[in-house]
Amino acid sequence: MTDAMKDSKPGGSIAALPVAGPADMPERPKAWQLLLRDKRAIAGLTVLGLIVICTLFASVVSPYDPLSQEFDILLPPSTLHVLGTDDLGRDLFTRILYGARVSLFVGITTVTISMVLGVAMGILAGYFGGWIDILFMRYIDLQWAFPNFIIAVYLVAVFGTGLANVIVAISLAFLDDFARITRGMVLSIREEEYVLAARSIGASDTTIMLRHILPNAIAPIIVQATLSVSFAILAEAGLSFLGLGVKASTPTWGLIISDARSFFTRAWWLGIYPGLAIMITVLSINFFGDALRDVLDVRAAE
Amino acid sequence: MRYFVGRVMQALIVVWAVGTLVFFMLRAVPGDPIQALLADVDPRAADAIRAKLGLDQPVWVQYLFWIRNTLSGDLGQSLYGSHQEVSQQIAEAIPRTVSLALVAFLISFTLGLTAGIVSAVKKDSFLDYGFNLAAFLGISMPSFWIGIVLIIVFAVNLRWFPSIGYKPISAGLDQWLRYLILPGLSVGLPFSASIARLTRSAMLEVLGQDYITVARAKGLNEKRVVFRHALRNALIPVVTVMGISLALLFSGSVVVENVFAIKGLGRVLIQSILNRDYPVVQGSILLVAVLLVFMNLAVDMLYRLIDPRITYD
Amino acid sequence: MNEQMKQILAKLTRQEKARVEEEHRRAYDFDPRDPLFGLTTDELSGPKLSRRSFLRLAAASGGSLSLSHLLGAAGIVLPQAARAVAQSGGHLICGWAGTAEITTLDPAQINQVLQFQVSSNVLSGLTHINADLVAEGDLATDWSVSDDGLVWTFNLREGVTWHNGDPFTAADVVYTYNRSKDPQQSIHSGNLVNVLDVVALDDMTIQLSLGRPQASLLVKTLERSSGRAMTIVSQNAIESMGLQEYGLKPVGTGPFRVTEHQLGQGVVLERFDDYYDPDRPVLDKITIIPIPENEPLAAAIETGDIHLIGGNGVAAELVDRFLANPDLVVDEIPGNGFQSVFVNPWREPMVVEDFNLSVDELKQLNGFKVRLALAKAFDRERFIQRGLFGRGVPAFGTINPAMGFYFDTAINETSEQRFDLEAAQSLLADAGYPNGEGFPTLKLLTTPGGRRQAEVIVDMYRNNLNINIELDVKDFTVLIEDANRMEYDLLRLGSGGDFDPDDGLVDWMLSDSRFNGANRNDADLVDKYGERAFGFFSADRVDELIHEQAVTADPDARKALVQEANQLTSDKLASIFIFHGTEILVHRAEVAVPPAGRIVGLRDLDRVFFN
Repeated sequence: MTDAMKDSKPGGSIAALPVAGPADMPERPKAWQLLLRDKRAIAGLTVLGLIVICTLFASVVSPYDPLSQEFDILLPPSTLHVLGTDDLGRDLFTRILYGARVSLFVGITTVTISMVLGVAMGILAGYFGGWIDILFMRYIDLQWAFPNFIIAVYLVAVFGTGLANVIVAISLAFLDDFARITRGMVLSIREEEYVLAARSIGASDTTIMLRHILPNAIAPIIVQATLSVSFAILAEAGLSFLGLGVKASTPTWGLIISDARSFFTRAWWLGIYPGLAIMITVLSINFFGDALRDVLDVRAAE
Repeated sequence: MRYFVGRVMQALIVVWAVGTLVFFMLRAVPGDPIQALLADVDPRAADAIRAKLGLDQPVWVQYLFWIRNTLSGDLGQSLYGSHQEVSQQIAEAIPRTVSLALVAFLISFTLGLTAGIVSAVKKDSFLDYGFNLAAFLGISMPSFWIGIVLIIVFAVNLRWFPSIGYKPISAGLDQWLRYLILPGLSVGLPFSASIARLTRSAMLEVLGQDYITVARAKGLNEKRVVFRHALRNALIPVVTVMGISLALLFSGSVVVENVFAIKGLGRVLIQSILNRDYPVVQGSILLVAVLLVFMNLAVDMLYRLIDPRITYD
Repeated sequence: MNEQMKQILAKLTRQEKARVEEEHRRAYDFDPRDPLFGLTTDELSGPKLSRRSFLRLAAASGGSLSLSHLLGAAGIVLPQAARAVAQSGGHLICGWAGTAEITTLDPAQINQVLQFQVSSNVLSGLTHINADLVAEGDLATDWSVSDDGLVWTFNLREGVTWHNGDPFTAADVVYTYNRSKDPQQSIHSGNLVNVLDVVALDDMTIQLSLGRPQASLLVKTLERSSGRAMTIVSQNAIESMGLQEYGLKPVGTGPFRVTEHQLGQGVVLERFDDYYDPDRPVLDKITIIPIPENEPLAAAIETGDIHLIGGNGVAAELVDRFLANPDLVVDEIPGNGFQSVFVNPWREPMVVEDFNLSVDELKQLNGFKVRLALAKAFDRERFIQRGLFGRGVPAFGTINPAMGFYFDTAINETSEQRFDLEAAQSLLADAGYPNGEGFPTLKLLTTPGGRRQAEVIVDMYRNNLNINIELDVKDFTVLIEDANRMEYDLLRLGSGGDFDPDDGLVDWMLSDSRFNGANRNDADLVDKYGERAFGFFSADRVDELIHEQAVTADPDARKALVQEANQLTSDKLASIFIFHGTEILVHRAEVAVPPAGRIVGLRDLDRVFFN
């Protein structure tokens, strides 16, 4: 199975699939070189880089304030307002630009949290086995029965809306992917000679887990993390759209689209452009992630 | 058989765990639905309603009641309006969600298989690149946004399809389909992208195998090679995906039902969350859990029957 | 007078014409004044409203008494020939805006306007307001009041049948009263606190006993739609159908009966052939479809898939588009509600501990200066343009323009709250925040649906006073708890469906009004604030005035009390009053809505017909 199912379960995420054997000791420079030869990676990275730079220097890229309602409402795209203005007289391009901050922030934080927790769970479960393994894996199984987005919806239902809660909800929603992948890797690595060797010279469990096992399990985790960023961005947009997301006046892409629903006929640009922004961002991440997977030779077996 | 019983037990435990987690977590959330319901009316009525719904009892008592009622098939009543039975709301919603999932399923497999096969056969052609890019686009677009673009183009401007709503199949097959085409596309397109990529890689793998080379060498025409020999084998992984696809389609329809105002399970769930209509939230989550868990189980069992090589310890 | 009315008039017999014209002429014998009568024994007793009082009212509502008022509102029955223009029959399809489902039609559970808009077509009350917000007899034909205003006797309409064929009797009224009075069964029991007892004197007569005189009894408590407490229900049907089924398809005595109702899909109403008025309804069938989203709603009426929009009203941003469409009729009238920004007087820097001080004394307090600065910097015109696309009028109190007679047309010039940017800036400077410097960031609590308007407010304060306001968006369930506990700096909230001054004053402006921080004395708050006596506002004089107007029979006297209370709440800043919405009815041009059927907030469809 390919990345086809990556943002969804069950049976979907590569996390759920056996990984093609333990990666060789990764030779990073080589991997990077390979990556730089891949057109998809170049395209993805370039676009992403541009987006990140624009976002960081938003105040330079756009002369306007994303919140100021100083212009006429619903102006169509023009040289003055490249993407037009919204129903409150704010510059749409500027809002999308600042909205990228929220989307990328949510994408990166959620994946970081999810990865740290998931990998920790996976290593502990895989390395120690026993009741820790049973406990963690039962929880993972529980989560695995549901598509990620549904889990995020459940969790927001329980925690309530707002930026922090949305981040927690999305992080937890795909925790199980990381845990599952890591555990699988650990199980296959822990009986390797170099691990046995380390243990025989009296290395502590912590040392073994962090110094010997983790580096060898890292490749599929990185791939999963990259692709998860795109899922997180889509999930945030979906939650915001449903009214379960960030609700303050912060512009987020999902919210901009949701707010535009009343103005489709009069101002198509309000609905189309923020969606394009999501699409381009997610697309470039997917391109990059796809290339990364090939380069790191993390192949999902059928 | 022992394996089967074990799996059913496991599934039941998952359902119970989900129900219990949701039960306790919901009660820790701020926001009193009764107070909001009665904001404009008699405050004394609030206590009466709380008592009637058992919301004045300690949480663990409520929990025991909930277990007992759920086991006897009573999912409770909505806190709002005429306090409709949750089970009735869900029963009315299921055909809508299933209809949507079915249409989305047909769309995604038709488009996905076609694109995947063409891509594989015409590998590295212009078409292949086109489909590949389209597939990447497909998995990169939020489904609700696809829905909105479809509404703008086909409902608001071209007026080909209704922009929202649902007609049951009893209103006629054509009506039913007319209302489901746009939502079906919104759910189905991203999924068809996945199917296309999967089909393409499976086909390529098969087309590279010896027996295909042999078949070609024997001078069989290409169509025959592709459809009689390659496709049949390439479809195996694709068919396995079908089993789990309903869960994914359901996930997609949660958002899309809200775009098209179709009162299926997804809309029931989201609306009840927004209203803090606990019994409905609880009931619909539980039902979704049951559906998904047992669907997984069924797929598992099916594999076991179909493919004797798969063994479970 | 329009073409249609001329035609009707032409078809009147000479006799009828003479009578109508005579009444038309006599209408000017009375001083113009508006409708909302209290309870003068003379004027309110008698068959429906007495013809005399009606004419007086009708004359008040705009100076010229149109024939249509007479035809519809006064209940003058025209000869059949006169009605021939109205083509009878037809199937009207309505879109109900802003909702995904009409959750209940049981009056005991109804808590949304969009619900009683439907039930008002199906169920009846003892009285029903007409287009001028005057109560007319519905299931009661006439009534009398004791001299102390405490005992009301109603004669019920003969020959009324329920949709299930049962005859309507006084027992139904008593049943409804007992059901509605019981908080276990009805959420409106609070509306009947003042009604001590209802007894059936015989099959066709009932008697109500009140605890104290009540000016709003006919318009509020006994009214079939807005009151809800005394919307008459059928015991037999409730018991045989069960509550849930009755909630979907209530059996009533109204012009239409419910034949289908699927939650989330829609309601089908069909003409009730045995309705007590043989001339109504005109339509054969009505289908009501809930359409929650603006865009699909607009598309539906533009393509003719629906004929008329009801429910939560038409979104302001769509109105210009509809106005430009020759296929559609857009009818905009003052809405009956008010919208405010409440300013928490317990939070710095807006603290005011005692609203009993005079306005001049209050103006010495820094907290009041800040409140006044916030109010005077509120540019209502700009807010209405940006936030409402021009669909609203500035508000300075709870009394709305739809109340006509009680509405104070001068308050926009007399209120301390009127827009004055320079004064606002200097008040803020006086309070210690020149040009907004050092002013803390305040949080404005609002609902997801109110976010757009709240963003206009944030931007306005940033520009006008250079102060920062953050949005605190919470679902209504959470918001209302915070509001009741006074957990906010600024709160965006308001009222709708206000037909009588009591709806604004009694519900909001009394020290112990249900919206005035009802849970402020909760134990955890006592620690925080001490034993406070009120939520957002409390002034003894205002309480006095409100209690007095509620039992004042004479309309002029009541009006004076209402307006004084209204002025005080405005000047002392009970809240920053921002706007009264307008009520917009949109329907296709082939549908005719006679003026008598155009009641603010309602969608009574019994007079509607196809041209």
